[in-house]
Amino acid sequence: MSTDTADLSRLATPPTFQSVSTARKAKNLTATVLVGLAFLIAVVPLVWVLYTVVQRGFPVVLNADWWQKSLSGLLSRQTGGGVYHAIYGTLVQGLVCGLISVPIGLFVAVYLVEYGGRSRLSKATTFMVDILTGVPSIVAALFVYSLWITTFGFGRSGFAVSLALVLLMVPVIVRTTEEMLKIVPDELREASYALGIPKWKTIVKIVIPTALSGILTGVMLALARVMGETAPVLVLAAYAPYINYNLFDGPMASLPLLMTSERNNPTEAGFDRIWGAAITLVLIITLFNLLATVISRWLAPKTK
Amino acid sequence: MKIQRHGATLGLIAAGALLLTACGSDNNAPAGATGGASAPASAEQVDCTGKAKLNAEGSSAQKTAIESFVQVYQQKCKGADLAYNASGSGAGVKQFNAAQVDFGGSDSPLSKDKGEVDAAATRCQSNPAWNIPLVFGPVAISYKLDGVTDLTVSGEVAAKIFNGTVKKWNDPAIAALNSSAKLPDKDITVVYRSDESGTTDNFQKYLTAASKGAWTQGDGKAFKGGLGEGKEKSAGVAQAVASVDGAVTYVEWSFAQDNKLSVAKIDNGGGAVELTPETVGKAIDGAKIKGEGNDLVLDLNSIYASTAAGTYPLILATYEIVCSKGYDADTAKAVKAFLTVAATDGQAGLSDAGYAPLPKAFQDKILTAIKAIA
Repeated sequence: MSTDTADLSRLATPPTFQSVSTARKAKNLTATVLVGLAFLIAVVPLVWVLYTVVQRGFPVVLNADWWQKSLSGLLSRQTGGGVYHAIYGTLVQGLVCGLISVPIGLFVAVYLVEYGGRSRLSKATTFMVDILTGVPSIVAALFVYSLWITTFGFGRSGFAVSLALVLLMVPVIVRTTEEMLKIVPDELREASYALGIPKWKTIVKIVIPTALSGILTGVMLALARVMGETAPVLVLAAYAPYINYNLFDGPMASLPLLMTSERNNPTEAGFDRIWGAAITLVLIITLFNLLATVISRWLAPKTK
Repeated sequence: MKIQRHGATLGLIAAGALLLTACGSDNNAPAGATGGASAPASAEQVDCTGKAKLNAEGSSAQKTAIESFVQVYQQKCKGADLAYNASGSGAGVKQFNAAQVDFGGSDSPLSKDKGEVDAAATRCQSNPAWNIPLVFGPVAISYKLDGVTDLTVSGEVAAKIFNGTVKKWNDPAIAALNSSAKLPDKDITVVYRSDESGTTDNFQKYLTAASKGAWTQGDGKAFKGGLGEGKEKSAGVAQAVASVDGAVTYVEWSFAQDNKLSVAKIDNGGGAVELTPETVGKAIDGAKIKGEGNDLVLDLNSIYASTAAGTYPLILATYEIVCSKGYDADTAKAVKAFLTVAATDGQAGLSDAGYAPLPKAFQDKILTAIKAIA
């Protein structure tokens, strides 16, 4: 049979979509507008907050005293001084919290991924971690207050704050570390076993180093998150306008606590301190996030 | 090598931590000023050998006064400092009784009915705690009313304003006391403290004592006027009044000053009295003490119901709650040093901060009590 070439160029059936109908155009437009609006609604407050914080806080933090001095011996209405005491408190409370929570979180995650499997204990642990994730910070703070201060009889201190932050940080670390360990390919583990290497050594030398960059990023993000927590410092530490290097005794300032305590100060100096502390906190947390990115790039496993 | 890289990370963190503890200073004294030069040297000897950092908590009404005491304390005792958390009278008493702070600040003396007296005695190793009325803050009936900066009220009119009997600024009751003022036909917006507060308690006690029966709501830490707009803390009510024309509230004088509010004169039967350190000092001088020995609990009715001319009766006495005995030696020394400085050299800066300095006779009573702390 000879085939007419003209037939070939013609479609057997007319094209299904000849032109986009008005209804579809309208739907498309509506969806675009809605998505765009949602984006705007999400971004506007964010930019606004950042703008306000920078605009009001930036002139305050330009002063060198701001980073080197405390507010000791200043009246509410007197300007000057700095927030060194609060920066110190925030960083030290956060770091000590990190020192406690990172090992705990890491070991829990290793257990869940490498050893637990589908055992009952591992299911219970996952469940508990899920519940802990949802615990509001004020509840963690009150729990530590009743345990550490009322029951054990210790005083309010920066360390008590660290303990409450541990409760908030551990679940975050467990979650991120777990995810990171899970994406380490099983082939790596199997190759290691095939060479006769014991399981613990495989975990220490192969699994964790492979996942390290992700784990550290998670740790940094968790740290950045807990450092901005207000409820634990409000309940568990008294504010001190001077520098207190001792984490275990006496009142200790931190940036969120400084802001809450200056909120009752209606003077110009009070506003400056609040906005200054706000931008300082934002800067510190940004720094931690940046650090997380840098570290994760630096420690990422080389694929070549 | 991987290991080296991890080491470097740890090293960086350690170096950062070291850097963090290296610099930082508590010294905020203005450059060039020699410490203590401006403060008149008093005869009172202060023993600065106690512990360096004191910790106190309580009434927000005396926060500014304590801050100015701390300035003088630091001039007297090098390296000494005090943290005062203005979390409210209730918290002050609670934290003092839980031995979390060295002394508490409260707008009202320890209450026997609530068990505070017993709890405090337990905290002080079975010694009684003393209430020392160290800071007197005048409470200002503050208002914002366009065109009116000079207003006089009596206890009775104040009571009627705050319980809603008088609703307009040009009400005859107000006009009778202010013949020269041009009062607008505007609604009175009452602003009150929504949190429990010693200021509210004292204000309502004053109204009960001075209103000739116009205030029947009683006293207590919650506002009982049954109208108006509640705002949190002294700063909150002051800011609220500053932003509403026709608003009125009761707030510590320093907050009225900081927010640039007008303050009403009070006519307690002896003529309109302006709020000044002198008129308040006169009122404190007339106060009777109902506590025993060195427990200087005041009989506030002797101030509130006073009709003596030239006295401003609406004052808030705030107490420092201290252990008579039972501190460890270091703490006792520091508490005594701080309170002594506060009651002597610290008085000079008080009027600037919105408080009334102690009259001489009263100051002597307080110093006797402070000296007796062991």
